[in-house]
Amino acid sequence: MEYNKVRELLERYWEGESSLEDEVLLRSFFAVDHSDLPADLLEAQPMFRYFTEEANRELPVLPELELPPVIKMRSLDHWMKYAAIFLIAVGLGYAGRQFQLKQHRMDMVLAQKDTYDDPQKAFAVTQKALQLLAKNLNKGTTKVQKLSYFNEATEKIKAD
Amino acid sequence: MSLSRFLSQVVPIRQKLYRFAYHLLGNEEDAHDITQDVMMKVWQQQERMAELENMEAWCMRIVRNLSLDRMKSRKYRRSEDLDRAGEVAAEHQPSPHMATERQDVMNRVHTTIAELPEKYRTIIQLRDIDGYSYQEIAEILVIELSEVKVNLHRARKAVREKLQKLHVYGVQ
Repeated sequence: MEYNKVRELLERYWEGESSLEDEVLLRSFFAVDHSDLPADLLEAQPMFRYFTEEANRELPVLPELELPPVIKMRSLDHWMKYAAIFLIAVGLGYAGRQFQLKQHRMDMVLAQKDTYDDPQKAFAVTQKALQLLAKNLNKGTTKVQKLSYFNEATEKIKAD
Repeated sequence: MSLSRFLSQVVPIRQKLYRFAYHLLGNEEDAHDITQDVMMKVWQQQERMAELENMEAWCMRIVRNLSLDRMKSRKYRRSEDLDRAGEVAAEHQPSPHMATERQDVMNRVHTTIAELPEKYRTIIQLRDIDGYSYQEIAEILVIELSEVKVNLHRARKAVREKLQKLHVYGVQ
């Protein structure tokens, strides 16, 4: 390779603009001894020789990586997984159903149970409740009566 | 990540990761530990692997981070700088004198690079020794492409100036 070409490559190299191919060319140029190498090229020689040596430097080979053995499961081996899922689903369904039945039974018992232990107290409360109902009913009847008077009067007017 | 992906994309680059860790730490044993830690970390973060474009860059980044952590935690000293004397093979040299001279020059270059700030040292390692592209270096170091070029320029300039001061010219 011509020295001018090497200078050009070196220029790019120092600027951090050289390509990997340029650098390969430089390394191979400086790997060979040149008796009449100009001073500006001579200064770069040790560096490139060093890079080549370092790149080729042999380091101890790492021992083989020991990976834990991989146990492959066949499709039939999954039956326990599916059985477990099925049993969990059945169990949950059964528990839900039992809970509902229990709740229903408790509601029934509560509905049938007396509110008061003392019959007189129960009578008094029932009477009071019925009175309240009758009072409200009477209020409604009075209103309906007034309305029927009005209807009758309207009918009479229409008939005349 | 499936085991097959780990085996096909991560396991084959173990040696590269080890080499990178070794150059950062300068110690084979620690580099070995870091490589093991990286493998564990990658496996633990396997859910992230699906979104990664460059698995190797990601692994290299983890190597760097773990190595830097180790260097900080123990106030690490790169003992390698002193231990390297005599490592360069002399068998291809025509004479013992030339072999010694060459070894001396190589050691000076090594020391010059080793004395650079970590940022510059790593970038020279990744580009000039490991041969990564600018884009890959940007991904490993999590910096912009332009920053890679600027740092590389500064790193090379620093090495050049130091070697000029040391009068390291040529090697036979």
